[in-house]
Amino acid sequence: MNNFFEINNTTFRISGSDKVKNVSFSIEQEGDIVCLLGPSGIGKTTILRSIAGLEKISEGQITLKGKTLSSTDTHIDPEHRKIALSFQENSLFPHYTVEKNIRLSSRDNTRGKININEIIKILNLENILNHYPHQISAGEAQRASLARSLNSNPDLLLLDEPLSNVDQSFKEEIQVKLKQILKKLKITTIIVTHDSYEAFYLGDKCGVILDKELKQFDDPYNVYHFPNSEKVVKFLNRGVLIPAKVTSPKSLENDDLGVITGNFVNPVPIGTDVKLLVQPEDLQHDDKSNLKFDIIDKKFRGTSFIYTLKTNTNNLLPVFVHSHHVHQHDINDKFGIRKPIHIEHIVCF
Amino acid sequence: MRINTWFISSFLISTVVVIPILTVFSSFFEDTSNYFEILRETFFLEYVFNSLLLLFGVLFLTFFLGVGSAYIVSFYEFPGANFFKWALILSFAVPPYIYAYSLFAFFENYGTAYTILKYLFGDGNYNQHIPKFSGMFGLILSISFSLFAYVYILARSSFLYQSQNLIELGKNLGFSKFKCFYSIILPAARPAIVAGLSLVAMETLAEFGAVDFFSVNTLTTGIYNAWIAFDDLAFANRISFFLLLFIFILFLTENLSRKKARYHLESKGGFKKKEKNKLRGSKAFFAFSFCFALFFLSFLFPLTQMLYWTVKFPENLFDLNIMDLLINTLYLVSLSSLVLIIFALISNYGNRVSKQKILNVMSTLSISGYAIPGVILAIAFITFVAWFDENIIKALGFLSIKKIFIGSVLGLVIVYFIRFYSLAFNGIKSGYEKMNISVDESAYLLGYSKTKTFLNIHVPYLRNSLLFVIILVSLEIVRELPITLILRPFNFETFATTAYISASEDLLEAAAVPSLCLIIIASFFILLTSKYILREGSE
Repeated sequence: MNNFFEINNTTFRISGSDKVKNVSFSIEQEGDIVCLLGPSGIGKTTILRSIAGLEKISEGQITLKGKTLSSTDTHIDPEHRKIALSFQENSLFPHYTVEKNIRLSSRDNTRGKININEIIKILNLENILNHYPHQISAGEAQRASLARSLNSNPDLLLLDEPLSNVDQSFKEEIQVKLKQILKKLKITTIIVTHDSYEAFYLGDKCGVILDKELKQFDDPYNVYHFPNSEKVVKFLNRGVLIPAKVTSPKSLENDDLGVITGNFVNPVPIGTDVKLLVQPEDLQHDDKSNLKFDIIDKKFRGTSFIYTLKTNTNNLLPVFVHSHHVHQHDINDKFGIRKPIHIEHIVCF
Repeated sequence: MRINTWFISSFLISTVVVIPILTVFSSFFEDTSNYFEILRETFFLEYVFNSLLLLFGVLFLTFFLGVGSAYIVSFYEFPGANFFKWALILSFAVPPYIYAYSLFAFFENYGTAYTILKYLFGDGNYNQHIPKFSGMFGLILSISFSLFAYVYILARSSFLYQSQNLIELGKNLGFSKFKCFYSIILPAARPAIVAGLSLVAMETLAEFGAVDFFSVNTLTTGIYNAWIAFDDLAFANRISFFLLLFIFILFLTENLSRKKARYHLESKGGFKKKEKNKLRGSKAFFAFSFCFALFFLSFLFPLTQMLYWTVKFPENLFDLNIMDLLINTLYLVSLSSLVLIIFALISNYGNRVSKQKILNVMSTLSISGYAIPGVILAIAFITFVAWFDENIIKALGFLSIKKIFIGSVLGLVIVYFIRFYSLAFNGIKSGYEKMNISVDESAYLLGYSKTKTFLNIHVPYLRNSLLFVIILVSLEIVRELPITLILRPFNFETFATTAYISASEDLLEAAAVPSLCLIIIASFFILLTSKYILREGSE
């Protein structure tokens, strides 16, 4: 069976230079959401612009519903693609009100699946419908732009950092509503973001773009727990890599932590020196443990504290502790780690 | 290269405008007469000296008047400030040649000044005490009072957008008001002031009517003589080219002297609206007097002089067929501005959607038409049509097309088009520059074709810019003299040509009626545009 959307070995260029090379991924079913993650300036927006037809591709092929949109010798103009792109910056028509902007779609809503009044309500735009774009905030402009894109009833919706300007207090609510709308209306969507939590929440699949390549494309859970390269680990910034030696098919040993047991995600020969991924939730706090390290930093994250510990060999370890833990520890205090150490998924490189 | 209808349209429009400009440059490959030898041995140095004197005299005076008045109305509140804000641009309605007629007539022997003194104090030998504003001094005054508004408008808009933060910073550093002005306000407005002065410089060196009236020998005279007396078009073109080169070098030097200095802040958040200082007592009186004197001298004085003659010699009013002149003037204005606006709009959109470097080069070349004196453009056009007719049309066995283009409204409209294309193109371009390219892309993504995007999104968005450009171009065409004079059909007169012809026959009183009509029409156009010229809103 053909995939709903497909990118094959495609190189994305802008102003004559390659931004992202040899990208391949697909969206199997209509209504799925894919999130592309990556640092700023890596080429995420270029990918969206190329899919929308605003840029040409130099190699590869992009197909939607079995029809080639872009290839080395094909380029369908954006107005004929039925793809909507919601830009990161304000791209509303400045001389029209918010309402006219939203209702300005040239395409027929023949499928009738979009109820624009409902979308306006969900995106909290009712009070600014008569305003002009220069009279509204950046976050409101982003939501209005999103509503306009949805109203164009696209086969594929592309969102470029859709909530980057939305207030933090409102962001989570919008994320939930956005996901509900997209799923309810079965709108296939590709979202570009640098916020990993947003990507993990919204995406059915996540792609990580680093060093001009799509490094990993997988379920959000797998991207988080089973990163496939050191670079992905560093980008997600949710763990550290410490030296260890594989001692058995289910264990390895580190000079500071001693024996660590668990299940290897990829089998590694016994005796191999590896870099082990330790994420904040892998180590458990235990005040009574003999395995103690100095606290050198402490971050309050609302529901939790992340303590950074310095080991005897000068490695830094992050440890997650619930913020309702009976007592708090301060910098320079000793911090105990529960033994034996067991990590459910052992990821090493 | 992606070729589409928009690219081709834009390319063709730019090509038409570039042809006469290339004709001017091509003069270096043609033989010239011995006019240059004659000129070198006679008046050449005088022409160059006079041109430089005129240029620097006008630049100095327009800088003083334009920046001074802009500073006062932008930074201070005093009685009449809101009136002068727009009244000062009315000087645009008086072309230098009409100002010259007024100036000369007021101060000449037994002129208006004499009549006033006689009326007030009875008979007397006043003529020897009344200063004579003729020759170079009169010319500098006429051009300066007519053109200072270029510097005024641009300096004022730059002053308006200067952040209060900068001025407060100066105060915080203990700067006096004068030091604040010359070390903070003036340098920040430098690019705008230079832009205004460069327009003044181009208009000054291209000025024909006033130069001719005061019989000052400048390089413009050289151009005219080369064509009229020696039929030496190539040499006329060369002088014109050197004039342009001189202006270009002058302003390039200024630009290089800025090095890497920047004159604006990009941060929107840092902008704080300026608060005007309220003036009282003698200071308020001085500010009012300066602005009133400028308004009086630049606008009321020539207007009153023309009005006075019209009332004094009412027969001139009835000798003229004003309705015919009005129809002719408005016919040229509406036809030309329509053609200009349509083509400049298409060309701008073509440039925007095609993104081809060749179009940028062509546009840059084509907008330099404004810097070429009207006399030269008209002559270059005639040269080109004659060459084309001789070498292409007749060679192909067709009937001559000269009559279609020379001495016809069509020819006039084409040359107006070339001369004022830069105004229309840049006016629309500045509207386009405020429109992010993502607006176009959003339209395409909503399923709009390029044509539909142009008609449904761009044209409504640019409505104000288009209106502004139409009126600006109309104003220029109403005032235009040399092109109309050279290329107009037989027996086809406008207010400008009628005024010029009467004045050149020493019938200054007869020139009053058409001059007055011209000032009234031009003032009407200015008042229509003042809202856009002086905008202080959020744009």
